[in-house]
This record gives sequence, C-alpha cells and structure tokens, in this order.
Amino acid sequence: MQRDLETASATSPVFEFCDVSFAYEGNQPALELVNLTLQAGESLAILGANGSGKSTMLKLMDGLYFPTSGKLRAFGKPLTEQALAEESFNFDFRRRVGLLFQDADVQLFSPTVFDEVAFAPLQTEWTGEEVIRRVESALRTLRIEKLRDRAPHRLSGGEKRRVALASILSLDPSVWLLDEPSAGLDPRSQSWLEDFIIDQVRAGKTMVTATHDLSLAEVVANRVCVFNETHRLVADGPPAEILSNQNLLAECNLIHEHRHPHTGVASEHRHPHVHSPSHEHNHPAG
Amino acid sequence: MSKPIRTGIFEKTLADLTHALEQSLFAETISRQAGLLQALDPRVKIISILSLLLSVSLSHNLPVLLSLYGLALLLAWLSSIPLDFFIKRVWLFMPFFTGLIALPALFITPGPVFVSLPFGLAITKTGAVTVLFLLLRVSTSVSLGVLLILTTPWTALLKALSILRVPEGFLLILGMTYRYIFLLLLTAEDMFLSRRSRILGRLRPAEARRILAASAGTLLSKSLSLSSEVYLAMQARGYRGQSRTVNAFQMRSIDWAWGSGIIFIAALAVWLGR
Amino acid sequence: MSFSSALQRVGTCVRSAPRGVRVYYAVLGLWLSTTAMHIPDGYLSPATCVVMFAAMIPFWYFGLKKLREKINARSAPLVALLAAFSFIIMMFNVPLPGGTTGHAVGGALIAIILGPEVAVIAVSIALIIQAFFFGDGGILAIGANCFNMAVVLPYVSYAVYQAIAGKHPVESARRTVGAFAGGYIGLTIAAFFAGIEFGIQPLLFHTADGTPLYSPYPFSVAIPAMVIPHMLLASIVEGLVTSLVIVYLQRTNHEILMISANPAIAGEAGHTARLRIFWVVLAVLIFLTPLGLLAPGTAWGEWGSNQLTRMGLSFVPQGIKQLEGLWGAPLAGYKFTSLGNANLGYIISAAVGVIVISVLTGLLVTVLTSGRPENRHDPTDPHS
Repeated sequence: MQRDLETASATSPVFEFCDVSFAYEGNQPALELVNLTLQAGESLAILGANGSGKSTMLKLMDGLYFPTSGKLRAFGKPLTEQALAEESFNFDFRRRVGLLFQDADVQLFSPTVFDEVAFAPLQTEWTGEEVIRRVESALRTLRIEKLRDRAPHRLSGGEKRRVALASILSLDPSVWLLDEPSAGLDPRSQSWLEDFIIDQVRAGKTMVTATHDLSLAEVVANRVCVFNETHRLVADGPPAEILSNQNLLAECNLIHEHRHPHTGVASEHRHPHVHSPSHEHNHPAG
Repeated sequence: MSKPIRTGIFEKTLADLTHALEQSLFAETISRQAGLLQALDPRVKIISILSLLLSVSLSHNLPVLLSLYGLALLLAWLSSIPLDFFIKRVWLFMPFFTGLIALPALFITPGPVFVSLPFGLAITKTGAVTVLFLLLRVSTSVSLGVLLILTTPWTALLKALSILRVPEGFLLILGMTYRYIFLLLLTAEDMFLSRRSRILGRLRPAEARRILAASAGTLLSKSLSLSSEVYLAMQARGYRGQSRTVNAFQMRSIDWAWGSGIIFIAALAVWLGR
Repeated sequence: MSFSSALQRVGTCVRSAPRGVRVYYAVLGLWLSTTAMHIPDGYLSPATCVVMFAAMIPFWYFGLKKLREKINARSAPLVALLAAFSFIIMMFNVPLPGGTTGHAVGGALIAIILGPEVAVIAVSIALIIQAFFFGDGGILAIGANCFNMAVVLPYVSYAVYQAIAGKHPVESARRTVGAFAGGYIGLTIAAFFAGIEFGIQPLLFHTADGTPLYSPYPFSVAIPAMVIPHMLLASIVEGLVTSLVIVYLQRTNHEILMISANPAIAGEAGHTARLRIFWVVLAVLIFLTPLGLLAPGTAWGEWGSNQLTRMGLSFVPQGIKQLEGLWGAPLAGYKFTSLGNANLGYIISAAVGVIVISVLTGLLVTVLTSGRPENRHDPTDPHS
C-alpha cells in the first residue's frame, strides 16, 4: 500500500478536487463546486475573506473533513474516510502532509514544547532515539532550542507559531498546508516566516498557504487562487496576474476602499493591504 | 428582596484565578533553583514522598509524627524553599480548617479530664491527643505534598507519574488537561476583566449569578468546540487513539541511594509508630 | 420506628444539645461548606483510602472503556477540556442570598450534558491535578475525593435530572428544574458519603485507650456536620450553577444540549443500564463498610465472627452513645447495636442511610414530576 502510494504519487498530482462541495452540519455551505489540481512542488496561495472557505479547503486537503459531494484525490488515490481508516494509508498520508492550524492554542495541545514537537514522530514506528534526533533537529532549524521545556501558555505569539511549525517539521512532510500563518505576527517574525516558506519551496516541498495577507501571497506563492464570499473558487493563476486584478480583489473583499476626506473632494481609491504587486520581489521557484 | 452587593464576586473569582497562575509560576521558579530535592529523579521523588505520606498516615505515635514533620522542614530547607513560606503555607490555613473542625473534639471525646474549664466544659486527655494527631498528620501530609509540588517542574511530575503504572492514555489526557487549564484560566480572567470594566456600581446577587452562569456556559461551549478542533489537530499529526512517550529520565546512584534511604526512614517510622 | 417518632426524637435531641455546640456547628459547617469538599490527607486512615481507591477502580476502568468504545480517539481531547473546565469552575465564587458565596464542583453539569461516565473521568482528572499539582485535597485521599465528587455527584445528579427532565424538549423548563434538583441532591448525597467516610474513622481506628487516630467524630456528628451545611449552602450553589448554565445554553447554544441525546457520546443503553455499575459498587461498598474497616494488622480473610463481635462491642457503644445528646436522631438509623453484632449494625445503618436518601430522592422526583400527564408522551414524536 505504501509503495503504491509512492509510485502513484510520482506521477499523480498532489491534490485533485473535482466538483467538491462541503457543508457543515445544519447545511451551512462552506465550499461550492471547487475544481483544482495541485502538482508537486507548487506553492499555492489560497486567498479569500474570512469565512470564505479557506480553512475548510485545508481541512479537506488534510483528510480531516470529507467532501459532502464531488471527488477528492490525494497522490492519485481517493481521499475518503474509509481510505484513512486503513492504517497503512493513514500512516503514509499523515507522514506526507502537515497542517498548520490557524489557532496555535489548538495546535499546541501538549504540556511542553518538546512533547509538542515529539507528538507526530511518536505516532510513527521510529525508535526513541530517532524521535529525539528529529525533535532536536526541528528545534534547531526553528531556533527554539531554548524553549524546549516551556509550557505553551508561557510563549509569545511568534514563539507559538515557531513551535507549531517545528511540530510539523519534525515529521518532514512533503506537503505543507498553512492556515493564516502570518496572522498576528510582528514584521520581523513575518519576514522570518516568509523565508521559512521560501526555503521549504526551494527544497522541493509543496506549499499551500491560506491567507488574506496579499503581501505574503505575493512573496511566497507561484500560483494564487481566490475564493469569493459565496464559497466559490473564482480565479486561479500566477500571482502577478491575480494580485493586479483590483476589481476581483475588491469583489472578494480582499482590498477595501478608503475615503480620503482631507483632500476635500470625494476622491476614492482602492487600497491593497500591501505594497503594489508591480513592486519587485524575488519570486521563489519562478 | 436581597440587598445589592458590590462587584466583589468578580474580584474574588479573579483573585482565585490569578492566584492559581501565580502559584504555578512560583512553583516553577522554585523547581528551577538548585537544591536537594530538585536534583533528584522525579520518579524517585514521587515514590519517596508517597512512602513518607504513607508512614505519616500509618504512624500511631505523636513523637514519630513530630519527627516526620521535622524531616519535611529539613528537606524544605535543603531544597532552598523559603522556610517562612513553607511554614505559613501550612499553618496559616490549618487553624482555620482542621483546627476549627477538631476544636470540639477536645471536649466531647470521652476520657479522663485533662484541664477543667468553666461552664462545665473539660478538655479530656483523649480529646487533646486526638486533636494533636489530626493536626500533625494533616500538616505533615500537606507539607510533604507542597515539597513535591515546589521542587518538581510539573511536566517532569507528569511524566514521572507513569512509574505509578498510570496508563499512557490517561497521562496524555492529564497533560492536555493541565495545558488547557491555563488557556481556560486566561480566558476566564479576560471574561471577568471585561465584565468588571463594564459594571458600574453595585450588582444584585441574582444578576451576579446570571453573569457567572453565562461565563460558565460560554466557557463550557468554548471547551467543547476547542476539544473538537484539538482532536482534528491530533489527527492531523497521526493520532489514532494510541499514545507513546519518550522517557528521558536516568537513574543515577544518588537517586538509588536517596530512594532506598527514604523508604527505610518511612518503614522505620511506621515500625516505631506502630 | 415511625417517621414521626423519629422526627420527635430529632427535636428532643437538638433541643437538649448544649447551645454553644449547636451554634458552633451551624457557623462552622456553613463556613466549611463554602470551601469545596476536598478531604486533605490525615483525616482518613490508610485503610479507608485503600478501600475508596479500590472502589474507584471499576468506575475509572469502565468509564475509560466506555469512552473508548463510544467515542474512541476523540475522547482524549474531550475529557481533557472538560476536566480543565471543571477545574476552572471550582474557582468561581457564586453569590448566594445573604452575602455569602460558594463554589460549585461542576460534576452535575458535565454529567447532565455528556453523561456520567465522561463526568467520572473528567472530574477525577481535575481532582488528581488539584491534589498533585496544586496541593488541594490529599494525595492518599484521592480515591475518597473522587468517589464523592466524581462518582456519587455525577451519577446521582444524572439520575435525578433524567427522572425529572425525561424526554422533554431541550428548551423545556423541566430541564432547568431537573438540573437544579440534580445538582442539589447530587452534592448533598456526596456530602453524606463524605460524612460516612469521616464517621467511620473513630469507630475503627483508635488507640487501645480509645483515642481516635484520624477524624475524631463518629457518624452522629460527622454526617449531620457534612450534610446539613451542604443542604443549606454548597448544594444550592451546585444546583444554581447547573441550572443557570442550562438556562444560558437553552438560549444560546442548543447544540450542546442535544449532545446528551446523541448516541455517539451518551450511549444508547439508557441511563438505567449505565447506573447499574454505580449501584453495584455502592452495594459492595456498603457491605464491605465494616470490613474496610480493616483494623490495621488484621487480614481480610482472618475475620472470625468472634473477633468482629469483640471489636464491635469494645468500641461501638462508646463511639455512639456519647453523642446521643448532640445530633442523635437524624442518625436514629445508626443505632442497631441491639442486634448484638455491631458490625451488622454498621452494614444496616449504612444501607438504611442510603435507602432513606434514595427514597427521599425518589419521593421528591415523583412529587416534582407528577401532575403532568403529558410527560408520558414522547417529545421526539412531532404529533404528540
């Protein structure tokens, strides 16, 4: 089974969404007829206002929710509740895909940083020494060795984000799903986060970043798709094209209009949250 | 009609919540200081404190109990726990709780009269002894518990509980509970602070109760929704209902020596206090 | 003995007790019950601690097993968050009319919403953390504390709530009434059990000259001292918190109240099957009371009836007689020494105590639920 998944994944796309819809209990829709194919090595940014279905999309990709209708495949295999109930598929899938939750208090459920980072490796069959080696290496990469015995409630927002990333890095997945990774970070942590994502992309990892932070999307993504407020995927393309489409971004509530009363005239123009997309940046991996 | 009360309820609850946070912070500080008990393997510490607790509980002899309390004081001193804090923590609270409970036993326990008091009251000898037993036993037990808590980082204590054959699954829950107690403490603190800032003047008890119940209800809803999210986060990292931990503890010869020494003392105390 | 003559005796005894003692207990008891019912180490003999711990094992075992079967892996975060909730709720100062405040345990609330098994594990964990990490409640006494607050309270509350609320819709006022009665009766009976645990100490554990080694008060003092103040204060707090939170959830978060109807968590077996283990353990415990009694140095198996009688006769009358003038009659049921074997007397007194409380609970429930013929209808049937 494991080998199947590996050979299949060498050629198949990482994720294939085919007319996928999802509704929460009580029929409150979260995603409507989504079609999307993601290839290995891509860095996709999913843009959308709050409540547009970005988080749901990531949870579907991570096999935590399952489509209400439509088909979803991961590494060429159907990603269903039954498939994940099977131990070998579950093991292999969890090993390859890591999800960063939006709320760090949800993701950090262990009593200490060390336990947190060791949690995922401990679910594998690795030996104790191997687990410890991986934990130490993840702590080093994220430069949080000092925090290893700290309790999560004694960490700052930026530290929590690093620990959450380390808890995924210790498993070294090939696909990273990041839910609002830059929310609540100070500018320094933000630029550090951008570097981290870019490094992962350069190392050949597949990244999916759900965000409403256009500057993050611009810096880390080589493909952008946009959800509108009726939970539909309305655009999919290269960052330069999408991020310069002011009308689209305004429609999807990603930029807002400012009035500038001080000009005396009712002059209105749209404000992206960030620097203009035409601004030069080192785009990772083309 | 009940008369309006001040908003003291919120202050009281807030103070309790803050106190719990401070207490854990204080314990963390002490547990990181150099000292005798801090240097020991937490598993040895749990076993030795438990055996001392048991010997306190089994001893039927006042001088032996007194020596065990002396031992607790000595251990506190050797573990750089401020002695005034250590004694106060036990004896400020004791007279109000155990002392008050035990007081009537001085008079109503039948036995030879020890001291006669006016109004036909008399302290009996048996009464005095029994009250001393209770006070010494409770204070020594509480002191030993405080020793364990103050000298062991709680995460180490948690891991060390596995030596008591507590199942891994139970330890996982215990660790998560401890972790989320702090999240809920902070949430509750925020809730009360924001309520308090909006309350002007006095509050009727019924109103205060309603607000408290609303806070409790909100906290419960939050706990339940958080638990579903946390479950997803655990699943995302491969959790399927089994848990495993890596144990980094290493027994050194000092741990063995200490452990056997304390168990010997405890056994001796039981034998002497038979 | 008729009920009215028993009542008469209560009156006589209370009147004949020294006034100072009565006032003292009234004040002390009320004050004590404002703090939670956490027994510290030193009050209970090690034998009692072992017995209570042993009594907890089946509840922990079956509770965890049930959680695993019904909600498997999901149970870990659920129980952890609820235990944390219970821990926090014990810190809430709830104001009562008259200016005093009290704390709730939260066991009734968790039992009502998620079933008693979840409550057993969640409250136990909260109590273990309090004992081991915050020094509240004894470490050796964990078994006893868990039994009172994590078993008796949730199971009794749940039974009372179910009896009153039945299958009425979640927004029904009967659920509020049931929640109050559940919390109130649950905590009162928990206090009764704490009273038994205290009261048994001087009878069984004392030096040769009769000096009690642990908690010094016999049943005749310990039980009323625990039960009466709880009835006047802490039980009201538990009932109020439980019912007010239910009212709040009725208004704001219906889904949570639907959980108990969800077989995935609450189990479809119904509460009677679920309560069976509770009553079985209770019966065993009542029966073992005099054995658990286990004077130090005597092995379980070596108890001859001679020895029982000898021990019984040597200390029982002493323990019981002296306090006749104090609280006497609520405990009229505790005087069966005339049966010749004092230990049999204990079994009977404990059983009588439990039966009396169960009957009173039953009566209360019947009174509260009668006169409403529609409560026989099935509310899940839209045509009813």
